[in-house]
Amino acid sequence: MACCCFMDLDAQDETCGICRMAFDGCCPDCKLPGDDCPLIWGACNHAFHLHCILKWVNSQTSQAHCPMCRREWQFKG
Amino acid sequence: MEDSHSSLFNLGILDTLTDDQLHEILDNYNAFCNATQSLLGGAGDLSYGAQFVSNVHTLCKHGLESLVLDHFLKILEETFERNGASRFWRHFDPYTDFVGLNKNDDINIDEDEIESVLYNALEEISIEKQYQEKCLLILVHALQSFKDQMSEERHNFEAERNYLTSKYQWIVSSVLMTTLPRVFPVILHWYFKRRLEELSTMVDVEFTDDVSPNKDGMDLDEKGKVCNKDVEMDVDECYSARRFSENSRLVKNIGKVVLGLRSLGFTSMAEDAYASAIFLLLKAKVYNVAGDDFRSSVLQSIQSWIQAVPLQFLHALLVYLGDSVSYESTSSGLKSPLAPQPSSFCPGIDTPSEGLVRWKLRLEYFAYETLQDLRIAKLFEIIVDYPESSPAIEDLKLCLEYTGQHSKLVESFISALRYRLLTAGASTNDILHQYVSTIKALRTIDPAGVFLEAVGEPIRDYLKGRRDTIKCIVTMLTDGTGGNSSASGNPGDSLLEELNRDEEIQENFGIDDDFNTDDRQAWINATRWQPDPVEADPLKGSRNQRKVDILGMIVGIIGSKDQLVHEYRTMLAEKLLNKSDYDIDSEIRTLELLKIHFGESSLQKCEIMLNDLIGSKRVNTNIKATISQPSQTSVEVDDNAISMDKIAATIISSNFWPPIQDEPLNLPEPVDQLLSDYSKRFSEIKTPRKLQWKKSLGTVKLELQFEDRVVPFTVSPVLASIIMKFQDQTSWSSKNLAAAIGIPVDVLNRRIHFWISKGIIAESPGGDSSDHVYTIMENMAETSRNAGGSGNTQELLGGDEEEDRSVASVENQLRKEMTVYEMFCIADPPYDKSLQQLQSFLSGLVSEEKLELRDGVYFLKK
Repeated sequence: MACCCFMDLDAQDETCGICRMAFDGCCPDCKLPGDDCPLIWGACNHAFHLHCILKWVNSQTSQAHCPMCRREWQFKG
Repeated sequence: MEDSHSSLFNLGILDTLTDDQLHEILDNYNAFCNATQSLLGGAGDLSYGAQFVSNVHTLCKHGLESLVLDHFLKILEETFERNGASRFWRHFDPYTDFVGLNKNDDINIDEDEIESVLYNALEEISIEKQYQEKCLLILVHALQSFKDQMSEERHNFEAERNYLTSKYQWIVSSVLMTTLPRVFPVILHWYFKRRLEELSTMVDVEFTDDVSPNKDGMDLDEKGKVCNKDVEMDVDECYSARRFSENSRLVKNIGKVVLGLRSLGFTSMAEDAYASAIFLLLKAKVYNVAGDDFRSSVLQSIQSWIQAVPLQFLHALLVYLGDSVSYESTSSGLKSPLAPQPSSFCPGIDTPSEGLVRWKLRLEYFAYETLQDLRIAKLFEIIVDYPESSPAIEDLKLCLEYTGQHSKLVESFISALRYRLLTAGASTNDILHQYVSTIKALRTIDPAGVFLEAVGEPIRDYLKGRRDTIKCIVTMLTDGTGGNSSASGNPGDSLLEELNRDEEIQENFGIDDDFNTDDRQAWINATRWQPDPVEADPLKGSRNQRKVDILGMIVGIIGSKDQLVHEYRTMLAEKLLNKSDYDIDSEIRTLELLKIHFGESSLQKCEIMLNDLIGSKRVNTNIKATISQPSQTSVEVDDNAISMDKIAATIISSNFWPPIQDEPLNLPEPVDQLLSDYSKRFSEIKTPRKLQWKKSLGTVKLELQFEDRVVPFTVSPVLASIIMKFQDQTSWSSKNLAAAIGIPVDVLNRRIHFWISKGIIAESPGGDSSDHVYTIMENMAETSRNAGGSGNTQELLGGDEEEDRSVASVENQLRKEMTVYEMFCIADPPYDKSLQQLQSFLSGLVSEEKLELRDGVYFLKK
C-alpha cells in the first residue's frame, strides 16, 4: 500500500519580529519560503528569519541586541 | 432652308401668288402625297421615283420644302408603325403569358423556336427599315438636286443626310418604345441567358481541361492568348477547332442579335439583358463553386472562370460589334452612355479595351460581393471548423478588402452568435472555443481588431454572466488538451499554445507599457503608423492599444488578472495535491509562460507551491535515506508495519496555498504509525520545523484480495480507511463505522457509495431507521448480482467530485462565507416574502428594540 499525504511546514504560528512576515513565509528579500529562508533562534529564545536578524546584527555598530528583549544577541546552540 | 423659313413667315407672299401658281402647288402637292404613299407603301417598288422627284422640286420652288419634309416624315412614321413595329411585335404575341415570370425562372418554351422567332423578327424589321431608309435617301437626293439647280455653291449633302437619317432613327426607336410589349425584355433576357449558358458549358469543358495553365495571371489578353494557344496545341486538334468555331459561331449569332437590337434603338435594353444574364450566370457559378466546403479557396477559380467565360464572351462580342458597327455608329446616333465605345476598341492590340476593363471590374466586384455575402451568412459554421476553414477566411478577407462591407459581417455574425451560441444550451467550454476561433479567424481579416471588438462584445458580456467561465478559461490556459469536458479535444484550441506564441509579443508589449520607450523605437512605431479603419470607434483608443491579443481578450472576460491568477492557483493546488509522483514539469512550464504574461509578482504564490513540490521530493528522498539508520526515537516495529518506501509526502507551505479542506479522519493504525514515524524523521532533519498531516488528503493505491479475485484501486484516504475496517470485521453498522473512522455518519453514508457501486460492499437496513448495515461481498457472484458494475476497473479518486476535491474551490470558499446568508435564502421553507413584508418584519424588530435603523441600515441593538 502506497500512501501520499500532506503536511504543514510548521514552525511557530507567529510572525518574524523584524519583517512582520509569517515564520513559515519568507523574509522580504526572499522569494521562496522554507530552506531558502531559514529561521534562527537567539539565546533569548526569540526567533527571526535568518536574513532579517543578520541584517539587524550587521547594522549595529557595537554589540547587537535582540530587537525583542534588548538582551545581547547570541545565536542559540 | 434660309429662304424657306423667311417665306414661311412672310404672309405677304400669299398675295403675290397667282391662280396658276396655286393650282400648280395643289396639283403637285396631291401628286407628291400620292407618290409618297405609294413609294413607302409599295413593297420595294421604286418606279414612282421620277414622278416623286419632280413633285418635290416644284414644291421646293414655291418654298414649301419644310412641308415636304414634315409630310414625308409623318407618312414614314405611320408606315413604320404599321409595317414595321406592329409586325415586329406580332412575332412575340404568343409569349405574352411570360410577362409575369421571374427572371430566374426557366421559360418552358422551345428554345429553337423563340430563337428563330427573334431572328426572323429582327430580319424582317431590318429589311423594312432598309427599304424605308432607301426611300428617305430618294427624298434627300431630290432635295439635293433641287438645291444644286438653284444655286452654284455646294450644299453640305452629308449634313443634310445625317440630319434626316438620325431623325428617322429617332422615329424608329420612339415608335418601337411606345409600342413595346412587356414581354420583350423578358424574352431578351431569356435569350441571352440561354445562349450564355450554352457558351459557358462549352467553355467549362475547355476550362476544366485547362485549369492548370489558367490558374494565375490577371492580365486579360495574356489569358486569352494562353487559352487560344492551348486550344491550338490541344492533341485533339480537330475537336477543339470545331469547338472553337462553334464558340465563335455562337458569339457571332449573339452579336448579330445585339446589332439588330441596336439599330432599332434598343442599345441599352440589349445591354441590360445580356448584362443581367451574365450576372445571373456568374451568381450561379459562385453559388456552385462556393458550396459548404470551407477547406479550399474558391476565389481563384471564380476569377479564372470570369476570365474564361464572361470576359471571353464579352471580348468576342465587343470585337464583333466593334468591327461591324464602325460605319453604323455614326448613323445610329443613339448610344447609351454606358455602352462600350467600339471606336476605342482595337482588336488584336494587347491592351484590353476600356469597355472590357470596365466589364471586368464590374464582374469582379459582383463576384466578390456575392461570395462575401455567402461566406458572411455561413461565417458561424466557418469559424466552428476554423483552422480547417482558413481558406474560406482568406477568401472573405480578400472580398472584404475589395467591397469594404465589413459592417455587414459584424451585424450578421453577431446575430448568428446570439441565435446559435449564446444560449443556455451551449457549454461554456464551447463558447470559449468559439470565441478563441473567432478571434483567430477575424484577426486574419482585420488585424487591427476593430471589428473583432464589436463582434466579441456580446460573447464577452454573455460569458461574464456564467459562473464557470473563469474555471474553463484557466483550464484552457493550462491544460494542453484543451479542456476536459468538451468533446472537441482539439489541441489547436488550447490557449497554452497561444501563451507560447505570445512570448515574443509580450516582450515588446513590456516596452510599450514602459514610458521610457527609446527614440529609435518611437521612430519605428511612427513609421509603421496607419490610420484606423473608418469604422473604428474613437472611444476605444488607437490601433496600437487595440492590438489583437487573444490572452488579453480572454482575460478581459474575467475582468482582472488577479481573479484569473486566483483561480489558477486553486486549480494548480488541486492538481498538485493529487499527484503522487512529484512530476511537475508541465506545470512548471505553464507557470513560466503565465509569468511572462501576467508578471512574476502576481504568480509568486504559485511558484512557491511548485517549489514545495520540488522540496517535498528532496525531503522525501532524504527521509527514506534515513531508514537504514533507525530513528533515535523509533519504536519497535510490529508485523503490520508498512515500509517507509511506500509513502510519498507532499509538504506544503500552507501560508501560500489556497485554503485546504481537511476533515478529521482516523487512519488505520499501521498507517498512522507510519505517518508519525515520518514526521519524527522530518523533525530530526528539519529542526525546528514540524509536520502536520492533512489526513484526509492524498491518494491511496490498494489492492483488495478476495477469495476469487484481486482488485486494484486508487482512492482517497477516507475510502481506504473505510475498506480497511472491513479487513477485521466483515460487517459494520454505519454508526459504528463512522465512529471508528472518525467522520460524521452522513459523510460516511455518502462516501461508502463508492464501494457499494463497485459491488464490494452491500448495504442493508439496520435495526433503527437511520442506521444501515454494510457488509463486504466476498465473492464475485454475489457482487455481480448486487451491483452490475464491474469492480475491476481502476478508478481514480472515486466518489462524488465536489466532495472529493482537496482544495476548496473558489466558489466553495465564497460559499462558506455566504453560508449565513444562504440560511436565509435557501432555508426550508424557502424565504418567499416580499421586500415590503421583510421591511415590516424588521421594523417590528426595531419597535421591540431588538434592532435599530440608522441611515437605511439595520443594526443589532446592543
